[in-house]
Amino acid sequence: MAGIDCGDRSAREINAEIRQLIQAGHNDIWISNPGARHNLGVGLCVAARIHIQGSVGYYGAGLIDGPTFEIAGEAGWGLAESMLSGNVLVRGNAGNGAAAGIRGGTVVIYGSAAARLGISMKGGLVLVAGDCGYMAGFMGQKGTLIVCGDAGEAFADCMYETVCFVGGSIAELGNDAVVKQPTPEEAGFLDATLERYLTPEIRAKKPPGRDFKKVVAGRKLWNFDQREWQAWQEAL
Amino acid sequence: MCGIVGFLDKSKTSERAAVGEVLLTMLQALGCRGPDSAGVALYGPPADHKLIMRVKLGGGGDLPSRAQRIIDLAKSFGTISDFSAAESYARFLVDEGIDERRLIASVESLDPEMEVVSVGRRLDIVKQVGSPASLERSYAISQFHGTHGLGHTRLSTESRVDLSHSQPFWGRGWRDLAIVHNGHITNYHQLRRKYEQKGVRLYTENDSEIIAVYLAQQLRSGRSLEESLRAMLRDLDGSYSCLAATATQLGFVKDPFALKPLLFAETKDFVAVATEEIAIRSALPGDYRVREEPVKEVRVWQE
Repeated sequence: MAGIDCGDRSAREINAEIRQLIQAGHNDIWISNPGARHNLGVGLCVAARIHIQGSVGYYGAGLIDGPTFEIAGEAGWGLAESMLSGNVLVRGNAGNGAAAGIRGGTVVIYGSAAARLGISMKGGLVLVAGDCGYMAGFMGQKGTLIVCGDAGEAFADCMYETVCFVGGSIAELGNDAVVKQPTPEEAGFLDATLERYLTPEIRAKKPPGRDFKKVVAGRKLWNFDQREWQAWQEAL
Repeated sequence: MCGIVGFLDKSKTSERAAVGEVLLTMLQALGCRGPDSAGVALYGPPADHKLIMRVKLGGGGDLPSRAQRIIDLAKSFGTISDFSAAESYARFLVDEGIDERRLIASVESLDPEMEVVSVGRRLDIVKQVGSPASLERSYAISQFHGTHGLGHTRLSTESRVDLSHSQPFWGRGWRDLAIVHNGHITNYHQLRRKYEQKGVRLYTENDSEIIAVYLAQQLRSGRSLEESLRAMLRDLDGSYSCLAATATQLGFVKDPFALKPLLFAETKDFVAVATEEIAIRSALPGDYRVREEPVKEVRVWQE
């Protein structure tokens, strides 16, 4: 266990020190006074646990491969963007574009996520205990996106094979988004996932897995078809 | 890219919270978002039946003699007091009952470089080319105490970098109204033509000025600040996170596509709004939540 006080130091210096501590054999690193700085933990590619005792700014834990980040405060734009593997857990809220383009790993947001959550994700798991904003899941290619609360407008717009689950209401479905009933296996997966990441008190306030709405692509926009010109006009 | 901030003191311990210092610290944290110019709109205790007028004297030349010409002119309108001239500005108080439109027009006809930057019972706008730190060096804004205020640090994308094109903008024609804006108004030219046909004079080519003009017109037609901000969602296209303040209110509107950031934190003591959380955290220590606002969100707080 080792600690870093951010003080007046730049993100570059802090990130370099994280790497030095890991190289020196520390697996648990506590980072105090982050002050919502940008670029904390970007590009870290080793399996260590980083505890951030406050908020991160833009691109927090972006481009990571392997580590686990626990963020006690909020996260700004582009949280965990394009991560390959690892875990990013945020106690507070996340800004726009959280988990955008992730290829693997798990992102858990205990508060709410703003606009463009999990857009163009290509794998991995995103779990939001609260609500999500405008255009979550846009062009999602793979992976699973779970929102326990309400979803904003243009939800799951123009998706490929990402599977979304929403526990609350959906303000508006995006183009080609279709609501389905979760299968018993999917309901079981939702229950297990929520039980794993949420405290029993919070879990008790969320609906059971079988009551989530499953949202997937209707596949109407996957291949161009002249006869469906109207759908294309709307989507574009 | 620009940085915008807003702060409103809720503690009610006095009418004199350290608004200037909070705004300066927030702006310094956002300085990297735009080093072109910086400015603040500060709301102090109301002047007793007086209006505060702040006039840009110009970029160079014989500023003291320009200031003297303003004093002489303003005296012919009524009693003036608390006259001061510092750096690019002259500032004075004048009787509330005067014909302010005529006074503004007269002042601005003295010299083409002169421009009335703000008028109100509580509002003072100070802005200039350069960083928030240089704004502090010129005008010691951190010494200002009051109830609420706005701040802006600018990265110019489409219009000139000079004092007039800096923000905040005063909502001309409506006392104490000020705005700061981060984004682009894409139907700017359309709106500009519309207002110019109505005889409205625009002082800059900055699209943010149109927001000030728009909100002043909305308020003049009897709408509340909240209704006016909501109406922006219908009438203004493009990307905008916009903060607006009046003598007693602070509010914001966020565009329908969440193209520009804006977050706020509210405690029992304050409301703080900013482009990035780093601004709020660096100015206001404490345990509170900060949240990125959803699209089309409008909020207004009363001081």
